[in-house]
Formats: sequence, C-alpha cells, structure tokens
Amino acid sequence: MIELKDLSKHYGKKEVLKDINISFKKGNVYGIVGENGSGKTTLFRCIAELEKYKGEIISDFEQLKNHLGLLFTEPYFFTRITGKEYIQLLSNARNIKNSTIETQNIFDLPLNQYASTYSTGMKKKLALTAILLQENDCYILDEPFNGVDIQSNIVIVEIIKELKNLGKTVLISSHIFSTLTETCDEIHLLKNGEFIKSAQKQNFSELETEMKQFTLGNVLNKLNLK
Amino acid sequence: MKEYFNLQYHLLNRKIVEIGFSPRVGYSLAIIAFYGISVVLFSSTEFAAYIYPFIPFSIVSKLSGKRRNDFLKTIFSVTNYQKIRVLENLMIVLPFLVFMLYEQSFLMAIILVSISVLMSIINFENSFNYTIPTPFSKKPFEFTAGFRKTFYIFPLAYFLTFKSIHVENFNLGIFSLLLITGAVLSYYSKPENEFFVWSFSLSPKYFLLNKIKIGLLNFSLLSLPVMISLIIFFPNESKSLVVFLLLSYIYILTVILAKYSAYPNEMNLLETMLIGFSLLFPPILLAIIPFFYTKSINQLNPILEND
Repeated sequence: MIELKDLSKHYGKKEVLKDINISFKKGNVYGIVGENGSGKTTLFRCIAELEKYKGEIISDFEQLKNHLGLLFTEPYFFTRITGKEYIQLLSNARNIKNSTIETQNIFDLPLNQYASTYSTGMKKKLALTAILLQENDCYILDEPFNGVDIQSNIVIVEIIKELKNLGKTVLISSHIFSTLTETCDEIHLLKNGEFIKSAQKQNFSELETEMKQFTLGNVLNKLNLK
Repeated sequence: MKEYFNLQYHLLNRKIVEIGFSPRVGYSLAIIAFYGISVVLFSSTEFAAYIYPFIPFSIVSKLSGKRRNDFLKTIFSVTNYQKIRVLENLMIVLPFLVFMLYEQSFLMAIILVSISVLMSIINFENSFNYTIPTPFSKKPFEFTAGFRKTFYIFPLAYFLTFKSIHVENFNLGIFSLLLITGAVLSYYSKPENEFFVWSFSLSPKYFLLNKIKIGLLNFSLLSLPVMISLIIFFPNESKSLVVFLLLSYIYILTVILAKYSAYPNEMNLLETMLIGFSLLFPPILLAIIPFFYTKSINQLNPILEND
C-alpha cells in the first residue's frame, strides 16, 4: 500500500500539488488523468522521491523507491548504451541476475543496437521491459501508451493486467481513457494539483462523459478557428 | 556499482573508437593532452590555479544533468546513488587535483575537491528550478541553450578581464577573451535534430550564412565588455587585441562549417584533426574553410531545398 497524506508541492510560489490525500492499495491499478500541467508527473516524481514535498508518503516498505519501477514519459539512456546493457544495468542495480534477457524480450527489440537509435516507442518499450525484469512491487507508468504502436499497446494492457494478478500496485497516467478503463480499478481526475473527481470501475463511463463535456466546453470557448 | 563503472568504461571506449582511435591510443593522447595543457596553462599565467579548476568543473557539471541524475536515482538505492555520484566526480577531478598539488596550489585543490563533492550531492538544476534568462531567445538555439549550460564562464571571463586591468596583465585579458571563444565554440559541438535544419526555408548557402552571422553577432555581444575594457586600458595593445578577435571569428566560422560538413553526424576525427592542424599552422585555414563549406553544402542539400 502507498498512502499520501497532505502531500503538497511548490515550484517557487506556484503550488503544483495541493494537500493530496489518497491511498493506493496492493494489487490494484490506478489511473490518473488530467490536462497537461495538472500535476500528474509531479505527483509521480514525489512518490519516486525525485522531488522534495510537504506531507507524508507512507508505504509497506522501508524505502519505497527500492521497490518501485518508474517509467518516465521520456526515458533516459546513456549515449552508446545498447538495449541489452540498459536492461542489465537496471537489473544489476537491484541485484537481480538476468541471464535470459533475450528470451524475455517481450517486444522483440533489437537489443544489441544502441538505445539512442531506437524510435520513441521502442525506447519506451525498452524502459518498460527493464523495469519489469527488476521484479518491483509497485510500478508507476507515466504515459506508457504514448508513441507506442497498436500491437504493443495491447501487450502493455495485458502486462498491466498480469501485474495486477501478481498483486503489484500500478499507477498509470494516460490521455487514452479507453486503455485506463480496461486496466484500472479506480481512475482519479487531477486538475490544478487537486483530485477533483474519482471513479470506481462501474462509474468510469460517467467520469469519461464529464471529462469530455468539461474539456470540450473549455476548448470550444477558447478556440477561434478561422 | 562495479557493473555501473564497468559499463561507463565500455561506453567511453566506444566513444574513443568512434572518434577514430583505439582505446589505448585514445587514453595515451588524452594523458598527453592533459599534461600539455596543464603545463602550458601554469607556465603562461600566474592565475592558472584559479582558472584550472574550471576545466574539471565543466566536465563534472555535465554529469550533474537533471535527467541523468533522476534516472540514476530511480535505479539505485539512495546510498549507492550517492556513492556513485561522489566517486565519478572524484575520478574526473583526480588528475587535476594531482597536478594542482604538484603545483602546490593547496587551497584551490581543497576547493576543487569540496565543490566537486558538493556537486555530486546537490543537483543545482533541481534545487533552483529556475530558467536562466538569455539575451538570445529571438535567435534560437545554439546560444540560448549553450549560454544556459556555460553561464558561469561569463562572470569568470569578465572577472579575469577586471583582474587583468587591475594587475596590468594584458595576457590575462586575452585569456578571458579566449575563454569566451572556447565557450562559444562548444555550442557547435553537437548536431541538432534534423527537424531544426529542415524547418529553415533557406538554401544551404543562406542557411550557413545565417548561422555564421548569428554566431559572430552573438559572440561579439558576449565579448563586447572584454573588448571595450581592454581597448580602454591597454590602448597600445589594440592591434594584438584585434588579431585575437579576428582569430576568434575565424574559428567560430570554421567550427560552424565543420559541424555541418559532418551533419547529421557528430564531428569526427577528420574535422577534429583539421581544426587541430590549423591551430598549429593557421594558414591551412585557407584550404580548410572552403573544404568544410563545400562539404557542408553537400550534407545540407538533401535536407534543405536548394533554390
């Protein structure tokens, strides 16, 4: 379980997260939706201890970050690192000996090529493969479906379902609502650093309709196409 | 941790091989270059001990990048991350530290170690989260991005100019001008994404002219305080000053052309060696510049429309 208590984050005078109180239970998948700049990535960065924050993050682990796999929106790779070396680096960092990387190459990536030569989607798939092989207890996937082909999207959805079956806690942010409805137990809508709406599986369609109306209303008001 | 450093060693070897040397030759040349530069610097100015640490600091600052450190933080435990960062900074600083101790610059040696350790613990980019303002935002992108990466060079260069006037040492003033030139040259070391070239609606010739014009103008802007100060306080040395300024212009132009002669790849052994030779024998520039120009036009032709 991961519990956030009165979590706030400021960048200078700007308050990016405002008194967030939420618990993420073991074996559940949570979707976080919201406009660009609503605070999704900052929330994930706080949980991963990449940011300083006010409030508390409580978990079942002594150090949550040692049990956490974080998929960045844009994963980072050292220049001239091959796909295989990247996976090995992440596994070694958690003292996991992976001698069967090739057979666990779920996305059929060219692992002997430099990761820098991969496309955006391939980079994301490589980063996802690497954190999966770390055998983490919790996963934070920031926009896992962005830039990834349809077939791989299907694979990622299945992986998320499998992680749930294995009792892992998964937090996903995505702009593709349908992928979240398929995988999540709960979806939370973040706006200006606050959770303004939440929905359980049975209310997902209501949340989606509300989001669409809200967004379209805003967009049509602002848009002045000529 | 051992695996991490092993990996970094392999990645460095690959970089050396890509430049065109075997790792053994590459490391030998690096040692010779390091020793040569250190000896020349310490024998040419009494302020070497103050200038010298900026070389390791500029390397160490590259390792302090936000994305790189975020990545390391997510994969290693807190303790291992801190050990790795301290160790890699100290490994870079070590040869410089040894030379400073040899030169008996004990105080600066202590400062060097302290700051490099501090830079491994504190991620300044994360801590301040502040966008450094630049006067170049209307003409992206080399100077906007480059200035933010090397912003600390300019107060140092201006301080050295002030110091050169204060102690009446013209050479130190020239050094401050060359420091700015070096910083500006570094802005052209990496090729940009092809989109940033493609988006120009210019022929290769005008694209290059535009790049050179912006480069020289912005360099002039950055070096203006140094130039004006030195002309006022060392009027008898104006001719030498103009020669150094012209040399800076010529090298900025050469490096811009060299960059695009290898584009979209990074400059390689050929470009680096030709520029190196020209430093030893400047008249060779008369052949190098047209060579780089023709090659640049050829490399840019497939990306830009040649009207």
